[in-house]
Amino acid sequence: MVVLETVLDATWEHIVLVYTTLFVSIAVSIPLAFGALYSKKLEFIIMKFANLVQAVPSFAVVAIMVPFLGIGFTPALVAIMLRALLPIIKNTYIGLSNVDPALIDYAEGVGLSQWQIHRHIRLPNAYPAMFAGIKFAGILANSIAVLTAFIGSGGLGEIIFQGLIGYNTSTLLAGAIPAIMLAILIDVSFTMLEKKVTPEYSSE
Amino acid sequence: MQTQRLFDRIDSIQFRGITKKYGEGFAVKDLDLEIIGGELLILIGPSGSGKTTTLRMINRMIEQDEGSVTINEIDTKNVDPVRLRRNIGYVIQNIGLFPHMTIGENIGLVPKLEKQSKNDIEERVKTLLEFVSLPPEMFMNRYPKQLSGGQQQRVGLARAMAMDPPLFLMDEPFGALDPILRKQLQKEFLKIKNEINRTIVFVTHDIEEALVLGDRIAIMDQGKLVQVGPPEELIFNPENELVADIVDNQRKFKHMDTLKVKDLMSPFEEKYILDLKTQACDAVDEMTNRDLETAFVFDGDELLGQVEIVDLMKCRDREEKLSELAKPIKSFQPTDSVAFALSEMKNSGKYLAIVMNSKKPVGILVSDEVLLKLI
Repeated sequence: MVVLETVLDATWEHIVLVYTTLFVSIAVSIPLAFGALYSKKLEFIIMKFANLVQAVPSFAVVAIMVPFLGIGFTPALVAIMLRALLPIIKNTYIGLSNVDPALIDYAEGVGLSQWQIHRHIRLPNAYPAMFAGIKFAGILANSIAVLTAFIGSGGLGEIIFQGLIGYNTSTLLAGAIPAIMLAILIDVSFTMLEKKVTPEYSSE
Repeated sequence: MQTQRLFDRIDSIQFRGITKKYGEGFAVKDLDLEIIGGELLILIGPSGSGKTTTLRMINRMIEQDEGSVTINEIDTKNVDPVRLRRNIGYVIQNIGLFPHMTIGENIGLVPKLEKQSKNDIEERVKTLLEFVSLPPEMFMNRYPKQLSGGQQQRVGLARAMAMDPPLFLMDEPFGALDPILRKQLQKEFLKIKNEINRTIVFVTHDIEEALVLGDRIAIMDQGKLVQVGPPEELIFNPENELVADIVDNQRKFKHMDTLKVKDLMSPFEEKYILDLKTQACDAVDEMTNRDLETAFVFDGDELLGQVEIVDLMKCRDREEKLSELAKPIKSFQPTDSVAFALSEMKNSGKYLAIVMNSKKPVGILVSDEVLLKLI
């Protein structure tokens, strides 16, 4: 039998792991996406790398951390980040670069500096795509955080694996159900946040 | 970042020996041109003639290879482009309203970057919206997508005036609008132009627009200035074939007596019809959707009159139906003579009339358009 406290602890560990990775990923992605706007070479490298990492099975990404970084929280964070980075960078870059050139032209024409164009025109125009990417990355991070229990990250994965190994359904569900609920929570909360920062204009 | 005012009024803008190359070819070659303070100068020519390039060299969106552009004898090369541009109103064809900002935010963007106070900006936005006949309380918080093409273009105009610049650059501002809407906005623009009395450089490829709006017209071809002067000079003393072609083409003199209304009217479309029971505010929304500035009210087959969106926008104050608001309008038969129709319209002070074939509307007659087709 699993004690409630264990489940709560694991859920908390899980949340910490998912959200830390997500925020680190966002912090890394946005400057890279802006960088890609300026350098075709950087754009090429980032996109190729991100696509490549996306193609590798999640479990392999998690496993490959061990020989390099050992086990524990940090290697788990790096493993999840490698997967979560791509949707954020890719969507942010697409959002930033897909701004109607007439808008940029106009913004320059009325005397906005490059920085102001990024801040007031490109970034807000990229929000819908960016949030779609972040939401997807969040859900991805949540599911990979289950796998990283194998390399000692803690979290709900630990309970799920215990349940699987001991063929103990109630233990398994005590891990799986909170994980599913977290996924739904992430989806709903980011959808709400997205609605808040991107008002009516994006819909008809 | 607050930028200092560069000039309060324009005395003159001088292009001296301007050349701009594009690869092997020339976009503009050895151009000398003076724009006189207070005038509306039209730049016109076939595509690739260098008119837009010339316009964009004034605010340094394009840098010339040779020669100098001076505004009030200040070489633009010596002015920070950001500062220069904030002293110049800019209007472009695709309007370029920022879709993620409300109308108010669009108009107030540059004032906000100039660190003006929130209250000042709001006041300014309201004044400007009223100036272009858009009731502020109705439009300030809408997004560009919720506006019709004509309304968006008005906002574009209001936005260019936000910093009260002494100089405006306009690159085919009415280019994307349908002909009737275009005529009406031009008319309004003329009114605005006379009120604000600023220097305007205006690119177009539409000679009718040029003749209606321009104080002087500069005709360009293959990167060179062919002729510049007031409209009548270009019509009566064209420098060469090309000029004669541009000002005269398709406008061979037609004998007015032989022309019928049906020869010169614009076709009528179903979308111009509104029902007499419609509430004024609903009519505004409906006309916005259909991209109309003017509409005709019918009672079944019976023509009641005409309504204009500018008048209907006061709908918030009173609740009225279109049947009470429709203003009488002249109607003609397709076979009436144009001379007769025009003199009737002139006597009643109307620039628009409807053409009815017995009970069926078939066309719209716009006096300016008729005149231009006749020149």
